Amino acid sequence: MLQYFASLNFLTLVKVLPGDIAQGLIWGILALGVFITYKILDFADLTVDGSFATGGAVTVMLILAGVPTPVALLAAVLAGCLAGLVTALLHTMLGIPGILASILTQIALFSINLNIMGKANQAVSVDQYRLVLSSRFNPQAILSGAVFVVLIIAALYWYFGTEQGCAIRATGCTPSMAKAQGININTMKILALSLSNGLVALSGGLTAQYQGFSDINMGRGAIVIGLAAVIIGDVLFSAILKKRQNFAVRLCFVVIGSILYYIVIGIVLWLKMPTNDMKLFTAIIVAIFLAVPYLKERSRSSFTRAAKNGGKQNA
Amino acid sequence: MKKSVCLLLALALMITMTACVGGTAAGSSASAPSTASAQSASASSAASASAAASSSGSASASASTSASASASDTVYHIGICQLVQHVALDAATKGFKEALIAKLGEDKVVFDEQNAQGDSATCATICNQFVADNDDLILANATPALQAAASATSTIPIIGTSITDYATALGLKDFSGTTGTNVSGTSDLAPLNDQASMLEELFPDAKTVGILFCSAEPNSYYQATVIEGILQGDGLTCKEYTFTDSNDVSSVTTTACAESDVLYIPTDNTAASNTEVIKNIAVPAGKPIICGEEGICSGCGVATLSINYYDIGYAAGEMAYDILVNGADVSTMAIQYAPKVTKEYNADICKELNITVPSDYTAIAAN
Repeated sequence: MLQYFASLNFLTLVKVLPGDIAQGLIWGILALGVFITYKILDFADLTVDGSFATGGAVTVMLILAGVPTPVALLAAVLAGCLAGLVTALLHTMLGIPGILASILTQIALFSINLNIMGKANQAVSVDQYRLVLSSRFNPQAILSGAVFVVLIIAALYWYFGTEQGCAIRATGCTPSMAKAQGININTMKILALSLSNGLVALSGGLTAQYQGFSDINMGRGAIVIGLAAVIIGDVLFSAILKKRQNFAVRLCFVVIGSILYYIVIGIVLWLKMPTNDMKLFTAIIVAIFLAVPYLKERSRSSFTRAAKNGGKQNA
Repeated sequence: MKKSVCLLLALALMITMTACVGGTAAGSSASAPSTASAQSASASSAASASAAASSSGSASASASTSASASASDTVYHIGICQLVQHVALDAATKGFKEALIAKLGEDKVVFDEQNAQGDSATCATICNQFVADNDDLILANATPALQAAASATSTIPIIGTSITDYATALGLKDFSGTTGTNVSGTSDLAPLNDQASMLEELFPDAKTVGILFCSAEPNSYYQATVIEGILQGDGLTCKEYTFTDSNDVSSVTTTACAESDVLYIPTDNTAASNTEVIKNIAVPAGKPIICGEEGICSGCGVATLSINYYDIGYAAGEMAYDILVNGADVSTMAIQYAPKVTKEYNADICKELNITVPSDYTAIAAN
């Protein structure tokens, strides 16, 4: 036991932080995409697992073909938008339930990603190409990641304040009322899903550069990480700021949630916990964050309070 | 700020060391490994600690003696990043660890063994950890692990194992045995040429060969392409049958059996986990399977020319020893291939399919 504690070096934990923060920022972009569908549009979109890998595949293949990295990333965003568009069309035009439509797209994307890359795994080395970020240079990766995050949050803040953005939010809140107000809810769903998956693909493209390769399996479980980030961010948001706050602040907390998620994983690794149990840890962390607001709400409800203040008398 | 942290650590190091010296004076050899681990815990700060110690006059003497003492019994820290828990990869990791333990001694090497559970993005997180730990060497077991490690550091030596083709894995354009960077290691590339001749030797009448593998595995794709070229050069018709995951193994295998005379399965992880399904389709259909490695062959194959993952792991361990102790330059070390291959056959399936193998084949021990 003593030996175990002796083997832990706090300095290491501090030194790991930059890597975790960089990864958290990159995945924070994915989390913002998930936030748009899950929180704003109220649509369980599982396309993410596929479009994340699509983003990575498109970016890496274009970089290998000699296209400048920013252009490659832009193409990845467009490819992601296209993936979202497919899900949206399956849902709105063909009437397939949302979650099924997104699963169909996700499965289809597996084959498409394979075709894009030509094989299951494609390396892109920071030694040979000019990449936007790499795990070799973490401070610089944090900077680039932060620039992307700030720009995206600013753009989203502006967009969801426009008439069209408000229409998307209304569609998510009460579709029937939005429809009654003359909003074309199908168009709004198409827009939101495309936007969301575009961001997810951007995150995939950055991740591929960060880790130095794109892999057919890299999107597996991406939605779980995205949801975890959104939920952790939301719980923290309501815990720290109590009241409803500025939309941009809420978006910031989504990214903070994603960074926290990676820091927690860093701590789990630092504690030398068996990595076989990592998914279990992830599930437990997300479950706790999901349960806390609910339990808090319940303990505050009028019924519980009534029971506390002399429930016996009334019974 | 940084200096005071270093001083604190130096103090802590000395306290633990004096405590342990006191322990050994009492005659307990059991505290020796704990000395090692305490030393190793702060190994990353050892250099800075001794630098800080020299500024505080009285401590400098003891610090320098400890430095000279630790030269002979340095404890090496090695981070092991394995893509997924899997019989072959586990065997390679085991071989690597046993090689280093055999050469360095149990208490001279500390392994930080992590696996990414098949999630390639987690490899980056794990490798970040190793770099932050300032480990002496990283073992990357399987392709995505190697790529993540190579991306994370250009200074810490990286030894790969179970990598089929280093040029593909690292995106190297001109590859001639060495990578020229901080990466070297052992390859699990099966002797494809010899496997192709084995197939032709055992089944001279075969016209069409079905190559069965998982489309998500770059290693299999590479082997399939190579062996396809060899077989087609010899006048056979080849067709690839790929499944995406374990769910469609059975339907793809059925199609492959219907359309080919002989099947070939490379060293494919998904196939390795699904040999029972493949066997239950191929044996009733009367189609023999030549496999890339022993594990798959013992499950569903007829014969194989197999490499041993333990062996390539062990060879990787020996390379690591050369780098750590003999100061070999990793960038000039040639990629090593499986030291020996054996012709093996699966007695049960051969009997069922009425195939007699030449006498130089050995039967795979029943498991």
